[in-house]
Amino acid sequence: MAALLLLALPGCSGEPAPSVGGATVSALASPAAPASGGVPVQGGALPSGAAVVAPARLEIGKLKLAARVDAVGIDAATGDFAVPPSVDEVGWYRFGPGLEATAGSIVIAGHVDSAEQGKGAFFRLRELAPGDVLKVTGSDGSVRVFTVVAREVFAKTAVPLERYFARDGVVRLTLITCGGPFDARTRHYRDNVVITAQPAAR
Amino acid sequence: MRIRRTLAGLAVVAAATVGAGALATAPAHAAGPSKVSVVHGIPGQPVDVYVNGAKTLNNFQPSTVAGPLDLPAGKYDIVIVKPGDPVSSPIIKVDQAAVPADANITLVAHLTADGKPTLTPFVNDVSKVAAGKARLVVRHTAAAPAVDVRAGGQPVFKNLTNPNEAKADIAAGTVSADVVLAGTTTVAIPAASLTLAEGTSTIVYAVGSAEGKTLGVVAQKIEGLHSTPGGVPSGTGGLLEQRTPWGWYALATAALIAAVGAGVVLRRRVRA
Repeated sequence: MAALLLLALPGCSGEPAPSVGGATVSALASPAAPASGGVPVQGGALPSGAAVVAPARLEIGKLKLAARVDAVGIDAATGDFAVPPSVDEVGWYRFGPGLEATAGSIVIAGHVDSAEQGKGAFFRLRELAPGDVLKVTGSDGSVRVFTVVAREVFAKTAVPLERYFARDGVVRLTLITCGGPFDARTRHYRDNVVITAQPAAR
Repeated sequence: MRIRRTLAGLAVVAAATVGAGALATAPAHAAGPSKVSVVHGIPGQPVDVYVNGAKTLNNFQPSTVAGPLDLPAGKYDIVIVKPGDPVSSPIIKVDQAAVPADANITLVAHLTADGKPTLTPFVNDVSKVAAGKARLVVRHTAAAPAVDVRAGGQPVFKNLTNPNEAKADIAAGTVSADVVLAGTTTVAIPAASLTLAEGTSTIVYAVGSAEGKTLGVVAQKIEGLHSTPGGVPSGTGGLLEQRTPWGWYALATAALIAAVGAGVVLRRRVRA
């Protein structure tokens, strides 16, 4: 009997399955077929900046999280996503789609933790599951609600970043942080935890 | 005017927009089609564009960009006429222009340095740009002498001549640029602001005629050249692992249950 219980241990560990909803994410990333028809003709005016609605605040009720969202880009020294230095803030990838987008992946990344500052805004991100609700307030004051459809865990060496930094496919919100085993020597986590959410039906 | 086939040296030339008839006459190749756009850089003269005898652009306006279209590799006859004119009285005519496979090409109808209408093919660099960057390409297709292109007052492209291009990948954002006669501060095209979106290529054509006082610019944008960040490093604390050691709790619980279970079994045996 004891042997039986021990065999069943992995299922009792209390950890949720690491990944769920991956197929949904792949489907969302598929670009729509181009429209056919006549030859498109555009004006040749110099390009000016399009109006962008930047995410300003992220709320996740299940995690009791309310974090400021900064517009960030690329860390010039490393070429990596410039996650805000303060672990209490999270960063929106300003080169990708904003809240006004009708296609592509709106990306917000945040720290799970930091050696100096402790737990980060996304410390419990991996506890999210399909159906959980996210609320994003835009720079224009508008509030958009998203529903989680997937939680995925990848080794950082294998995370399909093209899928999450895509500018085509169905519009979606992607939250990214670190997870998995921690290498105390390099002070890095092995994995990325990726949450995908879709606009909630109105 | 009639264009010599030196154009093929650039491995290009194609047609704007090819009708079904034209496509049917193109030789079949295993390789993929090319993306072909057409830029109208001749001020004041709308045109019709014929490809392999079929009218494919009707009343195509100056300073506009048509396409891109997928064109199979092959040879194409291109004729550009005033709107409504027969193909027998062309403004520009190119016979057997070669379109390579798997390329991204822009055909520019423009003036030569000495002011004659011509059609020049350019191969567009559609390689990915690094995350955070944008590609700026400037093409001299105006009836004007050599120029320098300045951004923020500093020359960035020097001594550019018709029909050549200069390009660079620079930080995405808004820049103010102007065009001066090469080596001088004599402004040929006044400063204008342009926003270079990350992960795109913005191609700016200097068009028109200095003598005719019609110098200006036409812009073409190619999207989808973005790269991803190198990674998303977002944790240095290692606190996740110091958290509730669920595994140990589970193990302890299991052991406890096992012990109780064993006790129950023993007691039953005693009773039995």
